[in-house]
Amino acid sequence: MTFAHPQAHKLIPAATVLAAALILSGCTSAKTSNDPSKDAGAPVTGGTLVYASGDAEPSCLDPHVGGNYPQALVASQYLETLYTKDADGKIIPWLAQDSTVTEDGLTRIVKIRDGIKFTDGTALDAEAVKVNFEHLLNPETASSTGYLALGKISSMTAVDATTLEIKLSSPDNSLLESFSMPWVAIESPTALKRSKAENCESPVGTGPFKVESWKKQDAVNLVRNADYALPVPEAGHAGPAYLDGITWRFIPEAATRFAALQAGQVQVIDNAQPDAIAAASKGASIKHLDAPRPGAANRIELNSSKAPFNDEKVREAFVHSVNVDAGIESLFFGTASRSYSPLSSVEPLAFSEKSLFSYDPAKAGELLDAAGWKDRDSAGYRIKDGNRLTLAFPVSTSQSIPAEQSLFEQMQATAKESGFEIKIKLLDISSWYGDLAKNDYNLVSAPYTKVGPSVLSILFHSKSTIPAPSGYFANLSQVKDPTLDELLDSAGTTKDPAQRKELYTEAQKMVLEGYYLLPLYDQQNHFLYSEKLKDVGTTTAVASPTFFDSWLAN
Amino acid sequence: MSIHNSMLPLTDPVLVSAGTRVPRPGATLARRLVRRLPTVIAAVVLLFFILAAIAPYLLAPDDPLAINPAAAFSPPGPGHLLGTDESGRDIYSRIIHGARPSLLIGAAATAAGLGLALVLGIAAGFGGRWLDFGIGRILEVLFALPGLLLALVFIALAGPGVGTTVLAVALTTAPGYARVIRGQIIALRASPMVEAATVLGRSRWRILTAHILPNALAPVAVLATLGLGQAVLWAASLSFLGLGSPPPAPEWGTMLSAGRTYLSLAWWMTFFPGLAIVILAGSATVLSRSMKAASSQ
Amino acid sequence: MSPSATTSTRQGGALKASLRWLLSTLAGGIFVLWAVATAIFFGIRMIPGDPAAAIMGGPGSQASAEALEAARIEYGLDQPLFVQYFGQLRRLAVGDLGTSYSLKSPVSEVLAEIVPSTLVLAGLALVVAWLMALLLAVLSTRISVVGSAVEIISAAVPHFWLASVLIMIFSTALGWFPPVSTNTPGGLVLPVVTLALPLAGFLGQVMRDSLEKAQHSAFALSARARGESEIGVLLRHSLRHAALPGIALSGWALGSLLSGAVVVESIFARPGLGRALLSAVTARDIPLVTGVALVSAGAYVLIMAVSDLAERLVDPRIGEP
Repeated sequence: MTFAHPQAHKLIPAATVLAAALILSGCTSAKTSNDPSKDAGAPVTGGTLVYASGDAEPSCLDPHVGGNYPQALVASQYLETLYTKDADGKIIPWLAQDSTVTEDGLTRIVKIRDGIKFTDGTALDAEAVKVNFEHLLNPETASSTGYLALGKISSMTAVDATTLEIKLSSPDNSLLESFSMPWVAIESPTALKRSKAENCESPVGTGPFKVESWKKQDAVNLVRNADYALPVPEAGHAGPAYLDGITWRFIPEAATRFAALQAGQVQVIDNAQPDAIAAASKGASIKHLDAPRPGAANRIELNSSKAPFNDEKVREAFVHSVNVDAGIESLFFGTASRSYSPLSSVEPLAFSEKSLFSYDPAKAGELLDAAGWKDRDSAGYRIKDGNRLTLAFPVSTSQSIPAEQSLFEQMQATAKESGFEIKIKLLDISSWYGDLAKNDYNLVSAPYTKVGPSVLSILFHSKSTIPAPSGYFANLSQVKDPTLDELLDSAGTTKDPAQRKELYTEAQKMVLEGYYLLPLYDQQNHFLYSEKLKDVGTTTAVASPTFFDSWLAN
Repeated sequence: MSIHNSMLPLTDPVLVSAGTRVPRPGATLARRLVRRLPTVIAAVVLLFFILAAIAPYLLAPDDPLAINPAAAFSPPGPGHLLGTDESGRDIYSRIIHGARPSLLIGAAATAAGLGLALVLGIAAGFGGRWLDFGIGRILEVLFALPGLLLALVFIALAGPGVGTTVLAVALTTAPGYARVIRGQIIALRASPMVEAATVLGRSRWRILTAHILPNALAPVAVLATLGLGQAVLWAASLSFLGLGSPPPAPEWGTMLSAGRTYLSLAWWMTFFPGLAIVILAGSATVLSRSMKAASSQ
Repeated sequence: MSPSATTSTRQGGALKASLRWLLSTLAGGIFVLWAVATAIFFGIRMIPGDPAAAIMGGPGSQASAEALEAARIEYGLDQPLFVQYFGQLRRLAVGDLGTSYSLKSPVSEVLAEIVPSTLVLAGLALVVAWLMALLLAVLSTRISVVGSAVEIISAAVPHFWLASVLIMIFSTALGWFPPVSTNTPGGLVLPVVTLALPLAGFLGQVMRDSLEKAQHSAFALSARARGESEIGVLLRHSLRHAALPGIALSGWALGSLLSGAVVVESIFARPGLGRALLSAVTARDIPLVTGVALVSAGAYVLIMAVSDLAERLVDPRIGEP
């Protein structure tokens, strides 16, 4: 086969990463603390890798259904996407060969690679891709992430075996970025014909591993796809994976996960906690993979739809009243750096504005005085017309790690000095969504992972304030600004990359300067792994690790 | 832990053994004093915690909520007697100031549980055969449901908060209390004292208030003491599941569960709040045993 | 009446009494299961949130109105509440527990996978707690202060804290036992000890009281008078009596271990009823919550019946009116 089949981007040395990050202001590569791009020794075939995930066990292994990060992590082992990212953060074809778009931007032709088979023997062709996208767009599938990403597709035609013609309702310059996400990965159309329950149990893809069994509440067992024999230039080898299989376990307790890695019961853990990473870095037996997620940065959103944050002065005052940096330093042990952008640092178009976010209680006080919150009650909180300056802050205990919860507590303490009363409410995920749906919040921190700057449209476009029937909406700062909407619309449809960058920069400036959000740090995505596991570091476009090249040393 | 301990009152030693402690032959005054020593210590400890709950600033003048990220994870030492937590807050101050919310949760939950149990127990023990049968069945159903399930569903219903925690703990401990109280009342109803009162033509109400209640309440006092510690443990478990007191309140269970994350880095973050819970629960147990022994002698 | 006739009447009476006991136990058990199913059904329905949303991937999903409607029809959620309720009772009566919202597979299959794991854990914990409690009770008759202290402290230790400490010491520092529980003997040690220790502290306190009483009872005195050694008296007479109240407690102790299993199974990453319960409540997965509640209620009913039966066998007076 002559065409390059790029595996998800390959790890490159840390020094290069750093340099690239400085020059490109956004590099997608994962960083490891000690980082040879290729470990010493000849790869050994065999052995089963045990991966311990701290995420909630997915309810469906097909990432089309719903579409969250835990699904992306495991599905990255057995499903592949039309496009992916290379080490420089560039979007490159994978299962697709090539793609062109018409001048009006309304028709996209995707050429599918020939000769690839799903693990059930079905051939990959244009019709298969069409079936997949139809599956995603079918309301019965209940796709969330993938559905939003493909929202502009109006119809599709499989012109021939390798050509898919996609008609769009309006131009979408982020479509290839969307194609690179595991939530729109390509599955066997034969397998998709099965019932939803069956497909959730064992989705069939083209990846280096395939799902063998899933023992609920325990583990997903993946075995090597022996027929995976495509040449992959960016990968370290050709042919099937070295590992016999992967046991994908769910270990909710962070301390147990780390202890299991130390004891050799598992070889990789995700959601590694800052103190564990710091402890591991002192020895040589455990290595660290830091792979910040693309899309939005971790941030706190300020609900501008109701008092007191419908007043921009109060939003600005809040941002200056909290001391974020001191907390990040002491709680994250150097594993997280402060962000000043709505976008992740791995997004090439991320725009930062540090000067807006200084810790400045004096300024906060002036702003609050000017906004009419002059008096203080006996507890020291500011009041206006008899109402206390209270901010409801629902926090999801499953999305915010303990260090983050502590950071919020520290913000609560520093904001108190300026007269804000923050009421932190620790909730399970269902109750947390419930509070958001009821608009029962002033502050909220919600992750959102997507490849590319179009995540800004999802988070800040006024149409994202319209809730889905479940009550969910993504625009949690509830900014509704026609100018911003127009900026985001043009940024998403322009064909000119320079203009796209300019428009997205402008949009980011608007939300930052309007104090609709308080950026914290990149979405943390830390993995720790045993030094016995070699050649780790390849990740997909959404920074989920793949283990095609990895091998277990004896 | 709390979870099953909370059901202890059901089979508290009070009921299980009639509680007659046979004095050892030849016990001297000195030995008796030594035997009393744990009771005295337990009483002093409880008084200390009650003082901390009433006037925490007397014992710990520093602000338990004052953060100092630069001093995070300081080990116990001269500056911070029991060390600091992940936000640099002083653990000694937090434990002392945490006595109030912790004891309040313990006392309120125990009171609510006992109150509920008293009503059920009296109705069952004194309200006639059918009422007894009905309440007996209700109690059986409450027992058959795992306590934690009750608490989880209740918190999901009512939203987290101190009030919810109190009621959730009360709801899960009440059946145990109710069964003990019902047993007491049934036993008392058949006692010669009550039979005599009945023969004398006393009204049911008079018999209930004058004869049955005062005698049924004695073991309840013992149960309440025991339940105090158990309720604090329950609240700690709910904190572990992320459903305890809202931050930044220095409640012991919340501190214990927050410190667990940093167990290998800062053992003092869980050790001292844990110690406070053990000391409280332990003293309560010692006291309740002494009370039982005293009442049965 | 001839003596033989009296005997046969007595036997007939005993048979009748046994039958009556069996029937009332059965009826009581069915009542408890019905009440638990009813309480769970209405209790969870009262929690804010749309069950259809729980089916379609949780409250954060983008499921469309049509998809939610389809799910409502598929799971019968479009019917009036009481129709749903009686429908569920009818299905439960024939042993159909429904399909889990979050796991998308039959609840009976899910339970079949996880119940044995919890049974092993809870059963072993009960046995170990028993042995430890006996040891503590004996210990405290010798060295009262130490025994009491150990009992009181172990009864006042929260499971989650104990589990974390045990992992830190025996997995990370010493490397004796794996932190993630497996069904091998080594992999069961830490979770079993975590569950058993607080229970042992409690059982020990109960047994010690009876043990002390038994040690000073008439038969113990007469045994001593016959020249039996102190240890002999303890082992042959007192312990047996001390164990009785402990046995009576074991029924509900096993039931209450399930609550402890929620924490222990989460920390030691063991599949089981407790962990399933926690995730099911979080996901508002009504069928799975109902299934777990019914299993634990069923276990409770069964154990209570067995211990009741055992008491009847030991002391026949209980059955008489």
